[in-house]
Parts: sequence; structure tokens; C-alpha cells
Amino acid sequence: MKRRIDLLNENFPVTVFGQPGQRRLKVGHGAPESASLTMKDAFQATVHLGDVSADIQMAVKGEKAYIRAFDRTFTLQIVDPVEQAAQEAGGGSDTARAPMPGTVGEIQVAVDEPVTKGQPMITIESMKILMVIAAPRDGVIDEVHFGTGDTFGKNAVLVSLKPEEEN
Amino acid sequence: MKKITKVLIANRGEIACRILRTLTRLSIPGVVVYHPSDADSPAVRMAAEALEINGSTPVAAYLDTDQVIRACKETGSDAVHPGFGFLAENPGFARRLGEEGITFVGPLPETIELMGNKVAARAFCIRNGIPLASSVTEGDADGEFPERARELGLPLLIKAAAGGGGKGMHIVREMADLAQAIQLAKGEALRAFGSDEVYAERYLEQPRHIEVQVLADHHGNVLHLGERECSIQRRFQKIIEESPAPDLSPNLRGRICAAAVEIARKANYRNAGTVEFMLGPDGEFYFLEMNTRLQVEHPVTEMVTGLDLVELQIRVARGENLPLTQQQVQSNGHAIELRLYAEDPEEDFLPSTGTLLAYRMPAGESVRVENGFAEGMTVSSAFDPMLAKVIVHGVDRRQAIHRGLTALKDTLVLGVVANVDYLARILSHPAYMAGHIHTGFIPKYRKDLRPPMLDEEKRNLLLAAAALSSREFTDPAFDVPEPYTFMGDWRN
Repeated sequence: MKRRIDLLNENFPVTVFGQPGQRRLKVGHGAPESASLTMKDAFQATVHLGDVSADIQMAVKGEKAYIRAFDRTFTLQIVDPVEQAAQEAGGGSDTARAPMPGTVGEIQVAVDEPVTKGQPMITIESMKILMVIAAPRDGVIDEVHFGTGDTFGKNAVLVSLKPEEEN
Repeated sequence: MKKITKVLIANRGEIACRILRTLTRLSIPGVVVYHPSDADSPAVRMAAEALEINGSTPVAAYLDTDQVIRACKETGSDAVHPGFGFLAENPGFARRLGEEGITFVGPLPETIELMGNKVAARAFCIRNGIPLASSVTEGDADGEFPERARELGLPLLIKAAAGGGGKGMHIVREMADLAQAIQLAKGEALRAFGSDEVYAERYLEQPRHIEVQVLADHHGNVLHLGERECSIQRRFQKIIEESPAPDLSPNLRGRICAAAVEIARKANYRNAGTVEFMLGPDGEFYFLEMNTRLQVEHPVTEMVTGLDLVELQIRVARGENLPLTQQQVQSNGHAIELRLYAEDPEEDFLPSTGTLLAYRMPAGESVRVENGFAEGMTVSSAFDPMLAKVIVHGVDRRQAIHRGLTALKDTLVLGVVANVDYLARILSHPAYMAGHIHTGFIPKYRKDLRPPMLDEEKRNLLLAAAALSSREFTDPAFDVPEPYTFMGDWRN
């Protein structure tokens, strides 16, 4: 089975071979190595890969694994193959996304208005913190996706710019 | 002497639990009001009685004076403990309770009013000869506020007049940023406090934030319970506090504590309060504000003095004399509070939300945990992102730091991004260990406080753990036969 896993904003292809108890795993084009994961209790686990192993703490929900290891805590996400394809097709800096969940405070731009990089477009509020969302590049506003007072989740697209070639 | 037979807690989360524990010890039934989103919270389970309150948002419910007073009447509560935040510094609420014959566990409404407006509080200090940093208020500036603020010189701090808790505060290091800082501060102030009045003050570089716990009864007795060092801050909000403050000469400590008692006396203060000061590198200190309530970081004072501040608050509210004199206040050892927040230190401390899949708090000798969450609960953006407080005590600062690091190792928060590992990096930083701290500590050591690098070997172990714990990888049902992998819509 091959999937991509997101870790620290990077994306790694991981392939798992074999049956339970005798799994082999490779990252990218590396050589497959024997791999195992043993849960000691609800959150304590030992992971082995080839000759190395580590005691970690982890919890899994859906496609996300939360792991505390090496004096840090990580979120790893298994990328949905369909979403992966969509991401590779589009994206870019035509959009300004929400860095945190919250509500729209003030909207400072209108559709078809030209903006310059860094210009405030929308003010959002989360847990009483106000944050200005600025234009990611020079361009023209294509769409403001939320109205004042609307709530949104993390990573929601707040404002889209018209694609560059149209300007 | 007023009777207090049942106390309603107009709050939620860890502070509601903390107040309930003292009430139980004093054999006084504790009542909580709660918004439905908190129905499964530990505070609701601990309380003798719990009443649901509602509002357009969860926060609005906890700010609704009418519903809280109705709940007092329904449950026969004759006193209200407001905790901190919400209605704790609302003079109108304290006054209404007085009119209804319900005891407010806190100071007089006039004092809350005086200290609640930072502009009024500054005028009070000037009248009483308390040292202040130079400042300009919108009222003084007569329509020329940005110009007058500019004259103070850089750097500047723009603050909400009705402020507190770091909300509505912005540092201006370049004049070009002044207009936007004023606009943002006004917007935040209006949302957080219902008033958009702001003022500007000269920002002291690398100051320490030192505050003094005061306690006053209704018979003219005022005393202090020593100081707290609260300089480790991000977004103007404290994340690590300790008592006593490291490297403070007995003379300076004495002068700061005496100034705090003087302010409390002149303000006709009652109950527990905190006077906050900025201490410059030159040893000069300035009044910052007075918080007319119990503070988040009060446990460090309790750990070193052995006193229960909530108990003392109740006794003072009942009309008792303070049960001890200044000479009887002892400070033993060193205590440090670590605030666990649902936030991402790698993303500018932005709040994070989600479900607490794993949530384990430390325990053990000299460790105290104040917590309002439990495994499986959801952290939403509706409230402040603080999850819990871990407070440790040691015979000296070195031992307290060591115990803090052990406690953080024993803490586990998975499912929501939290600052647990980040707090450990601060505690183990050489400058922190040496006591060289000021409010600019976090920006100054930003690079040192980054998480340790992840090499390829460790990275691959993490990827292996994620892959082997996922059905997507290990369940043959998820394996797509070759011909179908090209069909875009295929989904299990």
C-alpha cells in the first residue's frame, strides 16, 4: 500500500508491504526495511524500523496521527489520494487562507478591487485575538468567501485573487 | 458578620474546579452555572448543584448578569465567587449583587470601577505619588491622539483603557505602524471590553513584570503575600510565573511590596487583589495596573505561603478579620506555574482546536494541577485557549525548575496542538535557569526555543508509526486494485 504522509509541511511517499507481524516499509525510493509498531498501553508505543527503534506516545484519529517523540509533538496526516491529485492540479498563492478558526471581523476589500502585496484584506477574530489577513501578492479580488460575523475553520479560503494571467 | 451558606461560582473551567475544592473543604455547598457546551466538564460534575445558562455565544451566557442573579435566587446562594475573567471586574454586577443582598466575593464596586479604567487608575496613582511610565490618553490629547503619542517617542505601547489580560495591546516600533496599531487596539478593546478608548505609553525595553498579591479585610487591615515574577509572556500574556522573583534585592522587594500595600490602602481595597509593576533594568519600577480579583497565577503564592487564597477571600467576604499579620506571612522555597495552552508556538502561538485524544496530567510530590478538561473533550475557539496549569514547588528555584521539567515529561496532550514541549524548552534554557528573564525573553531567544531538528532516521520512525497505525495502510480493504486507481472518484 502506498500513500503520501504530511509531516512538518513536507510530503513523503510511504509504502507498506507484507502481512501483520512481518511488515516491511519504505520511505520514498529508499530500501524496504522491516517495521513494527507495538502499543504498550493506550498511548505508549514502540516503533521499529530496520535496526532502529524509539519509544513514542501516540494517538490516532481518522487520517491523523499525533505523536510525541524526540522532545516534540507532531501531527502526521495521511493524504487522501483524491485530494492529493486536486492539490497538485491547482493551488498557488491565489488564495488567502485562515491560519486559525474564528469569525470575520471587518472586510476591507471588495470584489474587483486591485490590491497590493501585504495590503490588509480582512480582519478575523479568534479567542479575542484580532488578526489582519493581507494580500499574498499584487492582484485583483476575485471573491470574498465570508461575510462579517461568519465563522470559519482553520485553512478555510477567506479571499481569492483573480489568476495572475488575467491581470 | 455576614452569613455565607452557599456560594455560586460565576465561572467555568479550572478556576471553577479550584474554587469548588476550597468550598468543599469549608463545608459550603458550591453551585455552578454552565453553558450547554460545558455540560460534560469536570466543574459541572464536581458542583453540589449546576444550573444551565444560555446566550447568543457561550461567552455571552457567562457574561449575563440577569441569568446569574436568577440562578442565585433559584438555588438560595447567598454569595457569588466570580473567579477571573467574565464578571470578575464588572462593577455593575458587583453593585447589582449588593442590591439583591447577595455577597460579592471581591472588592467594593467603586474600587473595581477605579482600577478597571486604566486611565482613571493612572490619575489615581498620580494623585497619590505612585510612580508611572509617561503616557498620553485620548482624553488628554484633545483630538490629536496620534500626534501626542508620537511625541512620547519610540517604542510605544498602545493599550485599551478598559483593558487587561493583554487584550487590545500593541507595541509600535516604527511610527509608520502607529495608525494601524491604534485601529487594531480600538477594535480589540471594543470587542473585549465594550469600550474603544485607548491610551499610549512609553514602552520600557526589557522590563520585568513583577506583581504583588495583596489582601485586605473590611476593618482596615491590609497585607501583602509577597511578589510574583511574571515576565515570561507571549502576546502580552503570561505563560510561566514564579514566586519569589529571582535576583530581587531584599530592599527592592520591600519597596515594591510596600508600594502595593500603599495603593491598596489608598484605594480602600477589600479582599484579594494584585498590583502589577514594570521593573526596569535600572531598578526603577512603575505601576502598571491593579487587578481587582483572584489571578490565574495565584497558586504560586499559595505554594510558597501555604495559604489558601480562596478561603481567605470567603472569610474576608464574611466580614472576618484577616487571620494573620504581615509578620506571620511566611515564604518557603520556590514555586513555578506552567500554563498549558492549546496553541502552536511554531505558528506564532495561534490557538488550536480539536479533540483531546490523550490528556494526561502529571502528579506527585510538590506538583499541583489546576485543570478543567478531560480526555475526549473538545477544545473550541469559544473560550480562552488555556487548558490547565501545572504548579511545582521546590526548596529552591533550581529544584522547582527540575520538578517542572519532570512534570512536563509526565504531561501528555495529543489531538490538539499544545505548548507542553515549548514550556520545557523555556525551563531548560540557560538564561531562564540563570534567572535572566524579562518580558522580551520569548522574542529574544526565539531561535533557541525552536524545537530540536528532526533527522532522517527519526523522521522515518515517525512515518512508520503513522503508517502502521493506519487502516489505510494495513487493511487490505483499502488497497485499490491497479485498474481502479485511475478512476478519480473512487473512494472507499
